[in-house]
Amino acid sequence: MADRITITLTLNGERRSFETAPGRRLLDLVRDDAGLVGAKEGCGAGECGACTVLLDGAPVASCLVLAASADGHEVVTVEGLGRAGALHPFQETLVTHGGVQCGFCTPGIAVTGAAVLARGGDAADHARLLAGNLCRCTGYAKVVEALDDAAAKEAADAPA
Amino acid sequence: MDVPVQEVIRPATIAEALAALAEREDARPIAGGTDLMVQLRDGRRRAGRLVDLGRLGLAGIRRTRDAIEVGAATTMDAIAASAEIKRSFPALASAARQVGAWPIQCRATLGGNLANGSPAADTAPPLLIAEASVTIASAAGTRRLRVADLFLGPGRTALTPGELVTSVRLPLDEPAPGERVVERFTKVGPRREQVISVVSLAGRAVIRPDGTFALVRLAFGSVAPVPVRALTAERALAGRRPDAAARRDAARAVQDDIAPIDDVRAPARYRRIAAAVLLDRFLQEAARG
Ligand SMILES: Cc1cc2nc3c(=O)[nH]c(=O)nc-3n(C[C@H](O)[C@H](O)[C@H](O)COP(=O)(O)OP(=O)(O)OC[C@H]3O[C@@H](n4cnc5c(N)ncnc54)[C@H](O)[C@@H]3O)c2cc1C
Ligand code: FES
Ligand code: FES
Repeated sequence: MADRITITLTLNGERRSFETAPGRRLLDLVRDDAGLVGAKEGCGAGECGACTVLLDGAPVASCLVLAASADGHEVVTVEGLGRAGALHPFQETLVTHGGVQCGFCTPGIAVTGAAVLARGGDAADHARLLAGNLCRCTGYAKVVEALDDAAAKEAADAPA
Repeated sequence: MDVPVQEVIRPATIAEALAALAEREDARPIAGGTDLMVQLRDGRRRAGRLVDLGRLGLAGIRRTRDAIEVGAATTMDAIAASAEIKRSFPALASAARQVGAWPIQCRATLGGNLANGSPAADTAPPLLIAEASVTIASAAGTRRLRVADLFLGPGRTALTPGELVTSVRLPLDEPAPGERVVERFTKVGPRREQVISVVSLAGRAVIRPDGTFALVRLAFGSVAPVPVRALTAERALAGRRPDAAARRDAARAVQDDIAPIDDVRAPARYRRIAAAVLLDRFLQEAARG
């Protein structure tokens, strides 16, 4: 049996330590060890984006990240993005634009979109930046519109 | 599911990393994990010990007097966003922006793309036309190897166990006054994002004021067991203008540079045609500027 290792990271703003297997994936750490089941396992191979979380602010496929590599770093899952009643601006527009149907892809899409907004940049890039997040339901147009809208609202709210 | 490894080491210095690799025969470096995690899970590669490269300070892009040095752990996202790379090596910036999709680009590293040894590695053709080299460190010392000599076959490289790629060096090559440079990377696949290239081409042309080539370099991915320079096609074009006759000769010559196979992603015949089409498009762009 492999020895267990200790991984300490900032998870949704809170410093947490986990005793876990050396071959743990970040996805399993988040879901099984931390009990945060927002990030989903779709393909387990980096292709679908259902497992996307933010690692130091950048979207990553957590099924491909060795949990030990995240030691000392900052991880944000959809649970850390917003709460019922206090949603992230992109979560708000996903709802108002009908960008959520079955919801399986939504936690990954929400964190990827949040990272897009945090970086700023050109709305023309939105579809490309979301292309790693597959959705079987919405047909994408409403998801991209929701991100465009959230970005426009953010720009309008920003002090001139 | 956990990947089957017994231990993970997170060294803070290159010396510690090299010692951790030398200590166990079944030790293997891990950078972004975007290739290795799935390979470990599927049993296509094995490792008793993983040596994480994340703390070694190997990420970063810096310009020296006559080259740009890219740290092995630099991500595709950082390469694609770099003003320095976009200006001097636009094909590399473009290739980095076409590796997987954004969440892959935020983890995938240049060193991992090369060390994985895939004939489809998208950064390889741009590095071949830049005549780039890698710096390799091991417990025995360091050596420099041309990217052209790094790839040996599908999934096989000249790296020996215990060796680490620490950086990639791209020599700067400024055109003479009046010359213009056209450099492109294009890839063919079933969709734009998140696809392994069926054929890819990186081209660099330096064009004199009279319209003739001062230099033309071409390299392909996914059309041979390793990424390849198209030297026969380059010779067919040397000193000429990218007119219809030259383009026809190049399309014929390039067939000798490539040795594609049939696989799940495309038949060899398709790859031969697509390689000629990508080359022709590049030469037409070179003619237009
Ligand atoms: C969904 C998806 C899409 C993809 N699309 C593309 C694509 O379009 N184009 C493309 O080229 N690739 C693609 N890839 C493959 C992969 O993302 C790249 O090859 C990536 O650059 C690998 O880098 P990494 O840091 O993740 O490597 P890792 O997985 O960490 O390592 C890969 C290999 O290199 C070794 N290694 C890593 N760093 C070093 C080093 N510094 N020195 C020595 N050995 C080292 C490891 O031991 C391992 O054997 C895709 C992968 C996925 C999952
Ligand atoms: S489960 Fe990670 S990308 Fe699909
Ligand atoms: S809403 Fe069902 S997969 Fe996206």
